[in-house]
Amino acid sequence: MRVLNRWSGKWWPGVIPLVILWAFAAWTTTAPLEADLAQRSTTALKDTVLDKRRIAVAGRDVTFAAEAFSEEGRQSAVASVEAVPGVRLVNDETRLVPEAKPFVWSAERDVVRVTLGGSSPLPSSKSKLMEAARAMLGGVEVSDRMNLARGAPQRFDAAALLLLDQIAKLKDGKITLSDNKVTLSGMARELGGREAIAAALKNLPEGYSVAANDVKAPPYIFQAYKDPVAVTLTLTGYVPDNNAHAALVAAAGRKFFSEKVVDNLKASIGAPSGFAAAVLPALGALSRLSTGTLVVSDREVKLSGDALYEAAATQIRAGLGKEFPQGWQFKPEISVKPTAAPVDPTVCQQLFTDLLGKARIRFESAKADIVADSAGLLDRLIETALRCPNANIEVVGHTDSDGEEPANQALSEKRAQAVTDYLVKAGLPANRFTSTGLGSTQPIAGNDTDQGKAQNRRIDFVVR
Amino acid sequence: MAYLASFFWGWLLGSLLLGLAMGWISIVQHGEGVSKKWKRWLAALAVVLVAAAVSRLVPGRFGYWLDLGLILFALYLCGCAVGSWLRDWVVSRSAPAA
Repeated sequence: MRVLNRWSGKWWPGVIPLVILWAFAAWTTTAPLEADLAQRSTTALKDTVLDKRRIAVAGRDVTFAAEAFSEEGRQSAVASVEAVPGVRLVNDETRLVPEAKPFVWSAERDVVRVTLGGSSPLPSSKSKLMEAARAMLGGVEVSDRMNLARGAPQRFDAAALLLLDQIAKLKDGKITLSDNKVTLSGMARELGGREAIAAALKNLPEGYSVAANDVKAPPYIFQAYKDPVAVTLTLTGYVPDNNAHAALVAAAGRKFFSEKVVDNLKASIGAPSGFAAAVLPALGALSRLSTGTLVVSDREVKLSGDALYEAAATQIRAGLGKEFPQGWQFKPEISVKPTAAPVDPTVCQQLFTDLLGKARIRFESAKADIVADSAGLLDRLIETALRCPNANIEVVGHTDSDGEEPANQALSEKRAQAVTDYLVKAGLPANRFTSTGLGSTQPIAGNDTDQGKAQNRRIDFVVR
Repeated sequence: MAYLASFFWGWLLGSLLLGLAMGWISIVQHGEGVSKKWKRWLAALAVVLVAAAVSRLVPGRFGYWLDLGLILFALYLCGCAVGSWLRDWVVSRSAPAA
């Protein structure tokens, strides 16, 4: 040892090249060492879920900043960096992701895009929601405004995915999830969308509930247009179901005896209650107009067009609204068609014959009550009668041969009288009309078939 | 330490060889050595520097350079000791023959 001590006194000259060597080593190794340590630290954190991760290396000291989603995750991340070989010190600048209270997540849809906002619990659920939104909305731009936060309720992902599915059913609107309460507003994309959303919300994960559902449905529209030139009745829009569809088209066929019914109706759920009860009388009123449009939008009925004579216009304006179910509104815009030029009685007779050849005035079975479906025909007969003010008209009732003749005679008389009363009520002078019943004495077809009998049950107008 | 050794083994080897060479030469050199008083001061300085390195007092790059310097110096000293001992052994073996 003493020997070593003696020798060591002469070792100092080598320190000068050693210092130079040291300087060179420091100069050339620092940057590669730092890069290598940064890379190793990043690799060590590969499987750790962190947000806003930042790694800076000075010498062998690593400054590690990140936001972790749990305290254990934070500690294990720091430990992984500390365990990287070569790292001398870790300056721990990690912290926990802020906690959101309440935890709010939202999806908002406008004309061009869907914006996901609020908080998401993990980067993985954030990307899962974005992917799901893109897949569900096919082609619609999806914008990500979500930040990350702790404090999400349990089963958040399942709830948010279900709500995303609902945003696809909205035309515009917003769905907000605040802790485990769901709030919805906006306009459904299709009729029935509101009901579909309400049904889907029943599948929300346990613990979640709907605080408010203000989703509106687009108006339920039914339209009928009577075109006097093309002699058509065009039906468009929606009906509640196929049965209602068939019933409506059949009723239109009865009410519009000369028009061809063009049926463009589609069945869809979401009809306001009392739809059929409102639309049928409205179609009856439309059948009384020479030209007109019926628009039923939710519970609002708008009827515009020209009535054939003043009294008809008044009856429609005042009467139709009363036939509607509770809560329905009627907005009539009825004007009166200009009176046609008067004609002589011969032409008048021809016009009556033409009209009654196309359709017959119909009554309740075995009664003298005129059915509402005949209102359109009667209005046309009245309009014709108004064109020949000097003609006296005999209203003649006929029946088929079923039943006893005295009963048929009485029924034919009552029916002829009922028609005459209807004409007089419409404003025609009573003294121009006489009513006669002929029972089954003057058949125009054989009484051996149903078709023949139907032809024999009739009212004729004879100009005298 | 294993990581550092593998990272700059070339530099470490350099300082070791430098030490060996210096140790080899120092045996037959006739110059003045470092006085006892100086040695003590230098030893105290080395202890302070080692203490600073072990306690990781010096931050960042300076800390790394300190570690690097101390490792190189330690290997240099080892090299010197081995070199001196070898030369001494060679000299003492050839002396009786001469």
